Amino acid sequence: MSPDRLDIAWLTLIGLALATLLVPSLVSRPLFANALLLTFAALKGRRIVLDFLDLRAAPALWRGLVSAWVVIVVLFAWLASAIIALI
Amino acid sequence: MSATDCEQQGTGWGILEDLPGDPMIWVLIFSELAAFGLFLGAFVIARALHPAVFASGQATLDAHLAGINTIVLVTSGWAAARATAAARAGERGRARGWLFGAMALGGVFIAVKLTEYAGEIGLGNGLETSPFFTLYFLLTGFHLLHVGLGIVILAVVSRGARAESVETGTAFWHMVDLLWIVMFPIIYLVHP
Repeated sequence: MSPDRLDIAWLTLIGLALATLLVPSLVSRPLFANALLLTFAALKGRRIVLDFLDLRAAPALWRGLVSAWVVIVVLFAWLASAIIALI
Repeated sequence: MSATDCEQQGTGWGILEDLPGDPMIWVLIFSELAAFGLFLGAFVIARALHPAVFASGQATLDAHLAGINTIVLVTSGWAAARATAAARAGERGRARGWLFGAMALGGVFIAVKLTEYAGEIGLGNGLETSPFFTLYFLLTGFHLLHVGLGIVILAVVSRGARAESVETGTAFWHMVDLLWIVMFPIIYLVHP
């Protein structure tokens, strides 16, 4: 049986979860590491929203609202860490 | 008004009817996302105000155990999505099997998280140790309650395994998954 959309989403999520765990030991610059960690979180969130929650076929309003929640939370976390690092 | 008229006019949920599952679960999902979003925002602000306290607290956490739990929860989410696909295809037995798989992995998540808590409490860390641990235990504890509630919801919808009820239960489960995906790096890995 060949992998379908759900299998590919799951494998992508596993890959991103493993990559997330490697970031602290591979990337030493905090701002860059934080950006990478939070980008991976946003990408994982996107897969869950589109493929698992199945909002791919839902109206753009709902897909956009849930996706925006993910982006706003991770962007806020990164901006706060960046501001503290720059002060 | 005849039954046909009611069907033509929908169930009165308006644009929420375009979402998978019962619209009521989406009212709950949007409320939960707002609450957790504010909670995570408070965590981020508190960390910006007390970077040293949060750095020392974060250093005592077991990020690898939490990482294992990420893999457990996304795999559970995959099983739940498979259950929805099976229920939509009218394969109720298969849907039930996938739901049991998702619930079992939810149980593993709880067991791993409780092991993690035991280790942290063993190190002398509790709700009142520092602002970091107050927010850490509240955020992850609140999320853990949702995992437990999600397992109960999946158990309820697995009885009939009808397509709409499975969609409803798994939508809640995917929200729990989504919350963890965002919480995990912010709490365990992001440098203060």
